[in-house]
Amino acid sequence: MKSLSLTGRIIVFVVLGAFILVPLAQTILISFVSTLPRDGIPEGHFSLVNYKNILLSPVLKEAILNSIIYVLLNVALCLGVGLPAAYAFARYSFVADRQLFFLLLVFRITPTVVLSLPIFVLFAQIGLVNTPVGIALVHCVFNIPISIWILEGFISAVPRELDETAFLDGHTLVSFFFRHLIPAVAPGIGVTAFFCFIFSWVEVVLARILTTTGGKPITMAINALFGFRTDVGLVMAMTVLALVPGIAMIYFVRNHLAKGFVVRT
Amino acid sequence: MKQYDNRAWLLVLPALVIVTFVGILPLIAVTNYSFLDLFSLNNPYWLGVEWYRNIVASERFYSSLGRSFLFSAIVLSIQLPLGIWIALLLQRSHRFIVSTVLVLITIPLVVPWNMIPMIWLNFINPNVGLAGRMLEWSGVGFDYKFNALHTWIVLVVMDTWHWLGLVVVLSYAGISSIPPAYYQAAAIDGASRWHIFRFIQLPKMKTVLSMALLLRFMDSFMIYIEAFRINAGGPDGATAFLSLDLGEEIQAFNYGPAAARSIVHFLIVMTVAWAFKAATGTRKPVAMEPVR
Repeated sequence: MKSLSLTGRIIVFVVLGAFILVPLAQTILISFVSTLPRDGIPEGHFSLVNYKNILLSPVLKEAILNSIIYVLLNVALCLGVGLPAAYAFARYSFVADRQLFFLLLVFRITPTVVLSLPIFVLFAQIGLVNTPVGIALVHCVFNIPISIWILEGFISAVPRELDETAFLDGHTLVSFFFRHLIPAVAPGIGVTAFFCFIFSWVEVVLARILTTTGGKPITMAINALFGFRTDVGLVMAMTVLALVPGIAMIYFVRNHLAKGFVVRT
Repeated sequence: MKQYDNRAWLLVLPALVIVTFVGILPLIAVTNYSFLDLFSLNNPYWLGVEWYRNIVASERFYSSLGRSFLFSAIVLSIQLPLGIWIALLLQRSHRFIVSTVLVLITIPLVVPWNMIPMIWLNFINPNVGLAGRMLEWSGVGFDYKFNALHTWIVLVVMDTWHWLGLVVVLSYAGISSIPPAYYQAAAIDGASRWHIFRFIQLPKMKTVLSMALLLRFMDSFMIYIEAFRINAGGPDGATAFLSLDLGEEIQAFNYGPAAARSIVHFLIVMTVAWAFKAATGTRKPVAMEPVR
């Protein structure tokens, strides 16, 4: 294997960047174009009308809010139950620990569509359909395993002496978690939140079956925009807005991703 | 050595409760449905393996299965080597380049799945799309609607655009967790770049790569919305993947047949995951690790 020169590498990265950005660029361009005939704005010309229409539409604004609510709830839930579980897997051995870890990974690779019908039936019975809470809960099925898997690696990398001195100092498990463990694995929490966010934000199968009449997230609100005369510009503007939180998230964790993280089984 | 303490179960319990509720219970329920005729949910009628027999007896199932496996195989054999290669290039790059490339390459991961085909359909549209107009102008005669090969190319390129970032991020995480001492030792031994890759980097990336491979296999094998929106399984069924039939049954709320198909898909994914684990599970010696 020959090592690539600096120029060679730069060329590869530029080609890669173009491959990623060019399809998106078109979407962003169209989002600034009026694609339906309207009074005062010639069709196909630059305008902010699509973004203005989103602001004027209560349905679309609610969808953005719903998406943000469910994704935040989901990340909080996954971190809240994932951190203690990851700590247990990293520090202790207990009856059936490997089997349990394996079971969790099985649910990470279970196709979500397999679970969609019974989840719809179950959630309909307990009144969790058409609400962001239901989506937040159901996305835990693949996000809890991933958060335990990532956090376990980060916690394992923390020397055990941190725990031992803290307990000698009289910390309870809870105060140890908040005073010592969480600050020590902060980058890990960032990376975990990032992965939970991306997997939850983009998921459409479960989100669709759980929001037939209300509580629709951005993805489903976009689906509803398609019709007899689809306003492509509006669709693209919604898509661009749907990207903003994700890109912000990527930006915040970029250095932690770039530093790399250790994961093990 | 980890401490043995069964009280650790208490720490795992909240996670397990949620996974039981949204994972284990639905899985049991869907298994149950697959043996029933459920015209309405209150009126179950025991059918036994009837739905399964229908699936196994239909020729359509096998051709779809073959297409799904082919798609997964193509996608994996492009994305894994490419992702690892990019991660290796990143490893020797300046930090600023690394974070820029990682930011760029993860952007498609945050695009909602139902929007990805929209973005690409626009991009390859022969009248307005950048790529579409380029192809039109160059006279290739690109026609993703009626040429099966072209539909496949669009799907594979789109899927690579979508998911390459995940492979790169995971591979890069694996590579950068290798302590510098390993490379120094390799340099002293005069190891070639290939040897460093084969005996240090690849073994150290094993865990993250298995995860990347399993996730990519599962998602590509079950590809639905992306493939459906591009050409609805066409032309002439050439891109009718396994998940297409399941999608139709679920849309129609045909509980029994949908459940049986779900279980079949679940078993296929698990079998492949298990076979993969069995094939890679035997530990080969890793550089600088004590023999156990």
